[in-house]
Amino acid sequence: MSSVRNISVGSALRYRGREGMWTWLLHRVTGLGILLFLVVHVLDTAALVWSPSFYDHALAIYKSPLFRFAELLIFFSVLFHAANGVRIIIQDFRPIAMRHQRRFAWGVTAFTILAIIPVAWVMLGPIFGLRGEPGTARHAERCLSEPNAPACLKVTP
Amino acid sequence: MSAQNTAPRGAAKRGGGYQRPTGVGGFEVFSWFFMRISGLILILLALYHLIWWNLIVGVEHLDSQVVIERWTNPLWRFFNVALITFALLHALNGARYSIEDYIRSPGARVVVKAIVYTLVLVTLAAGIFALLTFDPAVLMAGR
Repeated sequence: MSSVRNISVGSALRYRGREGMWTWLLHRVTGLGILLFLVVHVLDTAALVWSPSFYDHALAIYKSPLFRFAELLIFFSVLFHAANGVRIIIQDFRPIAMRHQRRFAWGVTAFTILAIIPVAWVMLGPIFGLRGEPGTARHAERCLSEPNAPACLKVTP
Repeated sequence: MSAQNTAPRGAAKRGGGYQRPTGVGGFEVFSWFFMRISGLILILLALYHLIWWNLIVGVEHLDSQVVIERWTNPLWRFFNVALITFALLHALNGARYSIEDYIRSPGARVVVKAIVYTLVLVTLAAGIFALLTFDPAVLMAGR
């Protein structure tokens, strides 16, 4: 059924699979990346039940500038994986769409890039001092009217 | 072993995706449909989750009390159970595809599968356990 071939990474990358190959590869890489992040993220969030202060320590790491980039990378991965997944589903159930699969691959790429630009602005802007943290106005407004809400009690990890 | 692992999956298609496995029923056909259905559900659940926490609430304003307040509503705990169940099972099946594609030796394949399956399923169990046994009164008082 399957053939085992040993080919170098270099010749694998020179293989001219074009849009179909590159989106397939990116779908796989983003999927595995999301899985890795999910395991860490679900475990640290579950730890909240046993130790809220452990969770706050973990969150301090998520708030660091380096992790802001990682979070944006996760956001990008989910957007691409979602858009390319929709493309795959359409091609599976409407085989006629396979005629336009290259154009669809470019559409997926264009969508992901266009969508990630405003997201990057909101998520990375604050670490470069270009804009305030997202949610600041919402948080302040809420805590003005309900100062004793749990979300408004300041927690220091 | 190898026949069992290589026979039933659908062939990769040039433009992405895989042929639906042939035959009626069976695990591979189920898994092929599961990836597509859970994928569509996850677009709603995961994108909502990312937009809400990253863009609307903001990581800077996030702490244990915010999550405890959110989880006080059982509907949000149910939302999270659905999110992690679909996400981790979809991801685990995707990892299985990759393991079967890249790890050819039957012995190594069993070992890697055992490690990855255990890690992901323990994570899923811990997440569901935390969400279902969560008690806001204990956590808010116990700080």
